[in-house]
Amino acid sequence: MKHNEVVNGYRIVNSPTNAGGGKCMWAFAEKSGKPYFIKQFLSPKRPKPDAGGSERSKQVRLEACREFEQRHRGIMKLLKPDMPGGGHLVLATDFFAHGSTYYKVTARIDTSTLEKPQLLESRQKCILLKTLAVSLQLLHEIDVVHGDLKPANVLVQKRTGNAFHIAKLIDFDDSYLTGKPPDREEIAGDSLYGAPEWRRYVQDDGSVKAEQLTTAVDIFALGLMTHYYLTGALPQHSERFDSPADAVSAKEKLELDPRLTDRMRNLVLAMTSRAPASRPRIATVISTLKDSKVCDLVQRPPATSAASATEASSNPLKEDRDFPSPGRLRTNIKGTPRPRREPSSPRPETPSAATGAEPTAPGGSSKASDASRKSRVRINLGDRRK
Amino acid sequence: MSSAADQYRGNLQYAVDIVLCIDATGSMKPVLGSVKSSAMTFQPRLEAVMQEKGKSISQLRIKTIAFRDFGHQEDDAIESTDFLRLPEQTETFRTFLHGIDATGGGDVPESGLEALSLAVSSPWEKGLDRRRHVIVMFTDAPAHPLGGPHSSLQSYPASIPPSSDDLLEQWGYPRSQEALMEQSAKRLVLFAPDQEPWTGIQEDWDMVLHFPSKAGDGLQEFEMDQIIDTIANSL
Ligand SMILES: Nc1ncnc2c1ncn2[C@@H]1O[C@H](COP(=O)(O)OP(=O)(O)OP(=O)(O)O)[C@@H](O)[C@H]1O
Repeated sequence: MKHNEVVNGYRIVNSPTNAGGGKCMWAFAEKSGKPYFIKQFLSPKRPKPDAGGSERSKQVRLEACREFEQRHRGIMKLLKPDMPGGGHLVLATDFFAHGSTYYKVTARIDTSTLEKPQLLESRQKCILLKTLAVSLQLLHEIDVVHGDLKPANVLVQKRTGNAFHIAKLIDFDDSYLTGKPPDREEIAGDSLYGAPEWRRYVQDDGSVKAEQLTTAVDIFALGLMTHYYLTGALPQHSERFDSPADAVSAKEKLELDPRLTDRMRNLVLAMTSRAPASRPRIATVISTLKDSKVCDLVQRPPATSAASATEASSNPLKEDRDFPSPGRLRTNIKGTPRPRREPSSPRPETPSAATGAEPTAPGGSSKASDASRKSRVRINLGDRRK
Repeated sequence: MSSAADQYRGNLQYAVDIVLCIDATGSMKPVLGSVKSSAMTFQPRLEAVMQEKGKSISQLRIKTIAFRDFGHQEDDAIESTDFLRLPEQTETFRTFLHGIDATGGGDVPESGLEALSLAVSSPWEKGLDRRRHVIVMFTDAPAHPLGGPHSSLQSYPASIPPSSDDLLEQWGYPRSQEALMEQSAKRLVLFAPDQEPWTGIQEDWDMVLHFPSKAGDGLQEFEMDQIIDTIANSL
């Protein structure tokens, strides 16, 4: 795949790059005047009919290709771009081999990666989160685990004339059926957003079996992403741990931003529970997000604990049977144990919804408000040298 | 009451090994300086990117193989280091890089495939939880096919396979039996012209990212971003 080359009818319109991707080369393309995103898979490669090497080697490689095609066509059958609600999932419109190499094509999304989501108003944040959760629900309803949920796999789209940012979920290439993940060596996933059971599976912990990797893996990641979109940072944890999942695995509580409403705090804590079965289902997440007030960041006098703070403290999730109440929560204003990154801001904040002021993210510097005056979004031109 | 299942097994540990294959023939003179200086800043840049992502690498090692041409001059055709741990062994790394001069090579092609073969058979890290084994090739020239007349030279390394088909087997593919590389860890990043054998390798081998250099332009446009992306986005 090269700039200006035509690959199976798609003309490549820029220099292919691996920017933002770990296991592919990608570019933008055009076919019949329509813009596309095209992704070249690095593996497997089809052996050429006249290739050297042993027959056995060719057979093994062809078999891997057959499996790869089956897996992709299987996902494409389950996830069709025209399925109801499918508009929020950026799904493959074409999948083919050209020469020795496999390609996947999706609609080109002119998007931006939202650099400072925490600066949006809470209603905006809520819509962003809800569109994301609804996308995930489409997958979970058919027992598909996204498997690599992280902000980099969410394209945030803001239509002209529409005030709201919409989340578009990408990269289903590592998806699997709930309870049927790829092997321990091969499973994809992100070291920061990965769930505790995913990390233990990767670490070859025999007590974590394949069937324990379920849609709850995505819920854990979505819990962390919710905290990130609302506050601009992940929950904090002791410096001893490299990731939230490690802290949770060691039965340490994550330190959530004290400005979260109680309902949001309970939701995020439940979503990041250690035991997959204790995490809420996606439908519960969506119903909690129905009231955009849950996405507010609230002012708390430094001495009050989150659980006793102003907000109505009834647990909005208590009707959900498979979802035990997370109980009373500790706010760690002093920042002990020492957080991994900068401590959460103990400063009372003004609720953003009330004043329209842009909150400062915990761990963010005073630069945050400067930055807000500049564009909040970075346009993805698909070519880092532009 | 903590059962084995409840025991915390420690943070997930990532090991990254990189082998830089650097063409040190005369024609590389205009770009060798920038390859070297990018190589020197690679570790701090990778660390900065990882930190920005809130991630970390537990162990980073770099091995460098400078190559010229067995057909031109046998005794300086390959010079290499062992895997050096960074940042601990930065000084050794710097001294080696500093010592590479762009000389000789005679006419193209060069001994790039020999360097690549040696890289493939490197003593890659097998421990820790997850690994990335990245070979990076910087060259502005095509390479001699393996198994040519040079392979009978005295100083020609015995470990180099006799043909490119054998080298492909050593590189491996999903479910291969003879691979020296670990399938889920390996990556090959080629900064090389759109000429054989590089074009063929990009076609036939898996996990290859080829950034073709324009003929005559050398590697001027080269940046380390592609290598950093390959590592940082997949951990
Ligand atoms: N439909 C699209 N339109 C525009 N840009 C896209 C589209 N899909 C993906 N991208 C961009 O391409 C980059 C790489 O895509 P993708 O995440 O699918 O690659 P990957 O190698 O599978 O990455 P990952 O490391 O997440 O597995 C993304 O970071 C995104 O910015």
